[in-house]
Amino acid sequence: MKHLVFWAATALFFCNLSLNAQEKFTLSGIISEEKSNETLIGVNIIFPETGSGTTTNAYGFYSITLPKGTYSVIVSYLGYTTITETIELNSDITKHISLVESLENLDTVIITENIEKLSIKNPQMSVNTLTSSTIKDIPVVLGEADIIKAITLLPGVTNAGEASSGFNVRGGSADQNLILLDEATIYNSSHLFGFFSVFNPDAIKDLRLFKGGIPARYGGRVSSVLDIYQKEGNSKAFHLNGGIGIVASRLLAEGPIEKDKGSFLFGGRSSYAHLFLPLFDINNIAYFYDLNTKLSYKLNDRNNIYLSGYFGRDVFRIEDSFENTYGNSVLNFRWNHLFSDKLFSNLSLIYSDYYYNLKLSFVEFDWISGIQNFNIKYDLKHYLNDTFKLQYGLNSIYYKFNPGEINPTVETSGINPFKLIDKYAFENALYVDAEHKVSDKLALSYGLRFSSFFRLGQDELNVYANNQPVVFNEDFQIYEKANPTDTEAFKRSDVIAKFFNLEPRFSAAYQINSNSSVKGSYNRMSQYLHLLSNTNSPTPLDVWTPSGKYVKPQLLDQYALGYFKNFKNDVYSLEIETFYKTIKNRIDYIDGADLIANNAIEQVILNGKARAYGLEFLLRKNKGRFKGWLAYTLSKSEQQTTGRTPNELGINNGNWYNTPYDKTHDISLTGSFKLNDKWEINSNFLFQTGQPATFPNGQYVYNGINIPNYGARNKNRLPAYNRLDVSLKYQPKQSENKRWKSHWVFGVYNIYNRKNATSINFSQSKTTGSNEATRLSIFGIVPSISYNFKL
Amino acid sequence: MKQLLFILLINTLLLSCEDVIQVDLETAETRMVIDASLNWEKGTNGNMQQIKLSLTAPFFDDNIPPATGAIVTVTDTNNNTFNFIEDGTTGIYNNNMFIPVINGEYTLSIIYENDRYLATETLKPVTPIEFIEQKNDGGFAGDEIEIKAFYTDPKDIENFYLFEFRKPALNTINLEVYDDEFTDGNQIFAFYSDENLSSGDLLEIISYGISSRTYNYLNILLQQTDNESGDPFEAQPATVRGNCINVTNPNNYPLGYFRVSETHIFSYVVD
Repeated sequence: MKHLVFWAATALFFCNLSLNAQEKFTLSGIISEEKSNETLIGVNIIFPETGSGTTTNAYGFYSITLPKGTYSVIVSYLGYTTITETIELNSDITKHISLVESLENLDTVIITENIEKLSIKNPQMSVNTLTSSTIKDIPVVLGEADIIKAITLLPGVTNAGEASSGFNVRGGSADQNLILLDEATIYNSSHLFGFFSVFNPDAIKDLRLFKGGIPARYGGRVSSVLDIYQKEGNSKAFHLNGGIGIVASRLLAEGPIEKDKGSFLFGGRSSYAHLFLPLFDINNIAYFYDLNTKLSYKLNDRNNIYLSGYFGRDVFRIEDSFENTYGNSVLNFRWNHLFSDKLFSNLSLIYSDYYYNLKLSFVEFDWISGIQNFNIKYDLKHYLNDTFKLQYGLNSIYYKFNPGEINPTVETSGINPFKLIDKYAFENALYVDAEHKVSDKLALSYGLRFSSFFRLGQDELNVYANNQPVVFNEDFQIYEKANPTDTEAFKRSDVIAKFFNLEPRFSAAYQINSNSSVKGSYNRMSQYLHLLSNTNSPTPLDVWTPSGKYVKPQLLDQYALGYFKNFKNDVYSLEIETFYKTIKNRIDYIDGADLIANNAIEQVILNGKARAYGLEFLLRKNKGRFKGWLAYTLSKSEQQTTGRTPNELGINNGNWYNTPYDKTHDISLTGSFKLNDKWEINSNFLFQTGQPATFPNGQYVYNGINIPNYGARNKNRLPAYNRLDVSLKYQPKQSENKRWKSHWVFGVYNIYNRKNATSINFSQSKTTGSNEATRLSIFGIVPSISYNFKL
Repeated sequence: MKQLLFILLINTLLLSCEDVIQVDLETAETRMVIDASLNWEKGTNGNMQQIKLSLTAPFFDDNIPPATGAIVTVTDTNNNTFNFIEDGTTGIYNNNMFIPVINGEYTLSIIYENDRYLATETLKPVTPIEFIEQKNDGGFAGDEIEIKAFYTDPKDIENFYLFEFRKPALNTINLEVYDDEFTDGNQIFAFYSDENLSSGDLLEIISYGISSRTYNYLNILLQQTDNESGDPFEAQPATVRGNCINVTNPNNYPLGYFRVSETHIFSYVVD
């Protein structure tokens, strides 16, 4: 299969190069927003006579090469006034275009990608795009617009409950999502344990979520790519916008450094609910903040540079006994260079880290862990002609993992200082990706990523008999840690383990008629980093571990098929997709695995596998007073860890078991209705099969306490989850010339106050001594209010 | 630790709600439960020992059926056999001739309904509890009494501890296990915090020396019985297998554990 795809790709590539006979010219340029010069991503440039077209890339650049001639060009982007022009293409033309926001469509941007006719032709499938304004319209708990909460309303995306960090795509785990903020990897996407995500929606321009058919330029995670771009900042005039909510407030300033050439953006966000706690005589503190910065400068027509940064922290403090701080930092320098009007390049130099600190004064120790990486990416996009584009590039990442360090907090502490052994790794990838329009009906995209991973020398590594760090005790039928027989020492330049993987990617779109198409895709991906987490949902405390001598990389194969249709003049669109995926080497944990402060993590993990399959349905109404979407996902997500030999039991007796985010049915209905110029109503309704859980199948008494006895893992389910949220947006009448613009959002989360179970706990009642089942529900009905302004 | 963070967060936001609900549960086939803990209290002769045998029951039942009519013996490496005689039909089996030896190896044998169960364990010594520290404004809300029971870990050997905090007046038991990975050779403490403790209450603090395997067993068991189990930050629960095996019919494995420990009891009256 792998070879077949490779040879097919090579053959197609060469046959394409030989077709260049006629005289051709290139039209290229940057498309930006007229008032701010903010570049626009995914703008369609269509040539209706020839049926050809292109879209702007992540930096607003487009290029198309056509035979000499006179063409009419349509430039369209939802929410902006469409431009139609006639172009005489008898030489190479550079044409920068400014689009004007169309007033009647203001705030009407719903998922933009896939709704234009062009996207029906585009082989890219399984992708959803959301703009900042869509995200802000979705009612959320406590009124804070949130990117992660918004994407979980899309088909194929869910999470492991209301208070869970991260998100799950097509039955994959949260650590299998590659989250990129301006090309830099974000390791923890959540604030306050998942109640909020780390992305400030005001600073975000555009995001796209790839669930399948993932292009070869992305790699390193197996389930999805969430690619987020921050705004560059307004290079025409100074602007301020912000919002005040009940939990957090935001402020964002942007403006020119040099008019039309350079701009800055500085955004901050912080929660402040903790400031009121002392009023209730609570000396505990829980807050988060984040800062987004970006400087952009246009050196000349061919060169742009960007410097962007992100810094976020969560802080919890209880009296003097406990303090917890964690968060991501990212610093990123990028250089866009146009080699020619057909060859666009971007160089990124990125530093990012994740820091975790826990100070437990009551037990007199301090814990620090983290991950640091240096990342260099060089991406080129070659717009060869109107039917063929080539993207290629390379990516190298150097990692340093600090699995943890313990230090006593006071001199009299009984804790000895202890440093877990640092781990080092080097990840590299080379890729090439082609977009190939074979005929008017058929478009292909095919590529190959060659990834490699080197686990570099560390101070000490355990050696085990038979290379088995975990042994199975046949008498007691349990897995136990093996005793190391020896240790090995390495130099930093040594390679302890190395892995190479070829990752073919392929997708095709066949247009049935002008309104509908079918698409299919296959992708193989590898993941060399693993988040060690044996809980339902990852926590900020969890540490990442690299593949190595005892931990193998995860390998994914995914197949997807879809049907796409626009109807009623593009007012409605329908997407139906089905997928099947398998993942090899999914880490599983032996019972009682200690994942924190463990120098020999290999002693508590086993290699398993995972699979997921499903059907996704998305019906959207994109225009008019009422807009919204209905998403339905029918899916199954399971994992299995069998014994390594027939005598071993495996995890869960070697049987397949549901992942904690397996939800058979997942329905979300999201809509907005514009009542009049001042009022708009937004609402979402969710219904989901209850999350898998393990309930006891009996009890016994041991050492004077009641012990629930558990059977098969995740065999039971919590009650079905459903809720309705409503919010009202009020925009007072504002005169056109007035600079100060504002609106209010009044929201109610879970309006019928359903007590959705986050978990059910089975234990002995403290008052009666009898066993009981206790339901924990986090959010009942939660009203919210926020005030948002723009200057 | 994770649960602690979770509770903190939930409480801070003041939004969560807990209520007792009805849940229909399946009941698995009945299994033998071995609650065999031989404890040698420092300063006593350790002759009097007790083993409890019972059966699993449906989760919401208030009665736990005893396993009666079993033949229970413990043997040591000096060819002594200690017969445990049932008290009526209570499932409680007693022996008053037991000879404890530090680091001595003991084998438990039970014959019940034609199945023979076996387990072997070593009597682990324990270091004494030295003193208690009390803090009256502990816990997240500052309304709990925190108790620290100090002991000195013997240097350069791996030690594992079970601590029991028992309130005889209320018949409540709290268990904690500790290892010495990060505290080897130091004076360190076992920690207990309780909002229902008040001045004048008697608290029995018992330390037990346990083996590495016992530590692992209890660690998993306690995670699953913890009041906070089942929350999103808890490890996935599973049947906890102990060190007793059914040699007649291995598939009909028993639950519970055979533990042999030296213990130290420290009685403390809350200030």
